[in-house]
Amino acid sequence: MIEARELTKRYGGTTAVDAISFSIAPGSVTGFLGPNGAGKSTTMRMIMGLDRPTSGTVTVNGKPYDRHRSPLREVGALLDAKAVHPGRSARSHLRTMAATHNIPAARVDEVIEMTGLGGVAGKRVGGFSLGMGQRLGIAAALLGDPRTLILDEPVNGLDPEGVQWVRRLVRGLAAEGRTVFLSSHLMSEMAQTADQLLVIGRGRIIAAGPVQQVIDSVSGGGVRVRSPHATELARLLAADGVAVASPEASTLEIRGVSADAVGELAFAHGLLLHELSPRSASLEEAYMSLTQDAVEYRSEPAAARTTTEKGSIR
Amino acid sequence: MTTLASPPEITAPTTLVRPGHPTHGSFAGLMRGEWIKLLSLRSTWWTLASTVVLMTLVSFAAAMSLDAMAADPLMAPAIADLHGAEVISGGFQIGMLTIAVLGALFITGEYSTGMIRSTFAAVPTRLPVLAAKAVALVVLTTVVTAVGVTLSYLVTMPQLAGYDLVPALDDPGTWRVLAGTAYFLVAAALFTLGIGTLLRSTAGTVTVALAVLLLLPGVLSFISLDWVETLVGYLPLPASSAFLTAGDTDVRGVALTAGEGIAVIAAYAVVPMVAAAVALRRRDA
Repeated sequence: MIEARELTKRYGGTTAVDAISFSIAPGSVTGFLGPNGAGKSTTMRMIMGLDRPTSGTVTVNGKPYDRHRSPLREVGALLDAKAVHPGRSARSHLRTMAATHNIPAARVDEVIEMTGLGGVAGKRVGGFSLGMGQRLGIAAALLGDPRTLILDEPVNGLDPEGVQWVRRLVRGLAAEGRTVFLSSHLMSEMAQTADQLLVIGRGRIIAAGPVQQVIDSVSGGGVRVRSPHATELARLLAADGVAVASPEASTLEIRGVSADAVGELAFAHGLLLHELSPRSASLEEAYMSLTQDAVEYRSEPAAARTTTEKGSIR
Repeated sequence: MTTLASPPEITAPTTLVRPGHPTHGSFAGLMRGEWIKLLSLRSTWWTLASTVVLMTLVSFAAAMSLDAMAADPLMAPAIADLHGAEVISGGFQIGMLTIAVLGALFITGEYSTGMIRSTFAAVPTRLPVLAAKAVALVVLTTVVTAVGVTLSYLVTMPQLAGYDLVPALDDPGTWRVLAGTAYFLVAAALFTLGIGTLLRSTAGTVTVALAVLLLLPGVLSFISLDWVETLVGYLPLPASSAFLTAGDTDVRGVALTAGEGIAVIAAYAVVPMVAAAVALRRRDA
């Protein structure tokens, strides 16, 4: 359980996190989304007591993180896969953390096996690939068998097998009743893994709720139709004031009506349909739409850049 | 067959909670964690080995240079004023540098690599981390100095014997110099631990340590202003000579008593450590 109330962080004149309140429930996976610079990492760092909030509070399992007697038993965090001394072996790194909580060496070996680091546990972390570093970070997060997991970009640098492993792992951890809070830039991955979403932009919460609800709140759904009588159907729909687009010949994309209603209309007028499919936006489309006003570092569209170049040649 | 029953410690890897195990945080556990941190890095072993080897070599060279002193009619009388313990601890300045680097790296190594975030995740109250590091450094520095001094004693003994300089073990002066050496090196380690926590940078900390511990007394000795000369007397190396010399050697500018010297050196350890503790509580990690 993670609860933030009016959580705020300012660095000088910049407000990184702006009075956000949220509650992350146990027993499910909550995805944390937002553009670069939206305040995700700052929020996670405040949860972990690494950064002090300018105002507001955040608690984990009922207490501020630094009030827990055995914090690793409460929260396991992967905030940064590089939070490791490269000169130490993976096993030594985990042992230093385990020792602080009197966690037995057997548990260290256990998380090493769980994360597939068995073959490299004795090697120095400096030589690890990004994916191996990520697995070590996850191993460290699991070390204390915590009730709450906070994972910042856990699949970053993992191969497809590793991505699937993380997905199963976090689903499994949530199924055991734990709180799982994770961020990712991979929307398709988030759509498959998360139950709820928390979307932030410019330090404020833009959307929160079950994944499908967040998607629907943006797209409102739609219906795709292929028909040799597309033109006539479009005319009938337009007459009812329905928004119709035709991306290609004999194909319609209709918004604001159900597939049932379109089918009934076509049947009533004897129009043949080759396809009638309700469409929902992907999480990625919903995300882009939600955050388009909140992107801190926007990439310049290629077209605009070309124009500028032409301009400079003249 | 009862032999098929699994022993209790073999549980399914996903069965994470073992109610029987007291897996709470404790200072003893934290202490053990800091020991593992120190001893699992090659840099620690290199630093410790260099400290012992260099201290021994320098004291050996100091002992061997007695021959040259004896051969020089101008220097020869000075031998009579020498205390054997001073020759044995002759390598303490070089030990001061390697130990200072060890103290700096112990904390700046965590900041530069990001390890500090793992450390503070395990111990979010932070201050116990600084305390555990200080304890570990005190113990390690004392042991290493003891080893270095013992080796120095053994390698210089034949040469010192030739000049009747083997320090008597029942002479309080001997123990003051030898224990004072360990005390001074412990203070140097805590000084850089404190500065390192404040600056969070290895290069910055080593620069400050080199300047304060080694360079400033030499650089400032060219300035003959009264207050500068007084200041120099309170810098670590000159202040340490108040208890690291067995005779009544006069120090330029200020002549501190042994007790005053010990107090001044303590301040070099305590003040940065207190400042570090305050900064650690207040700052974002």
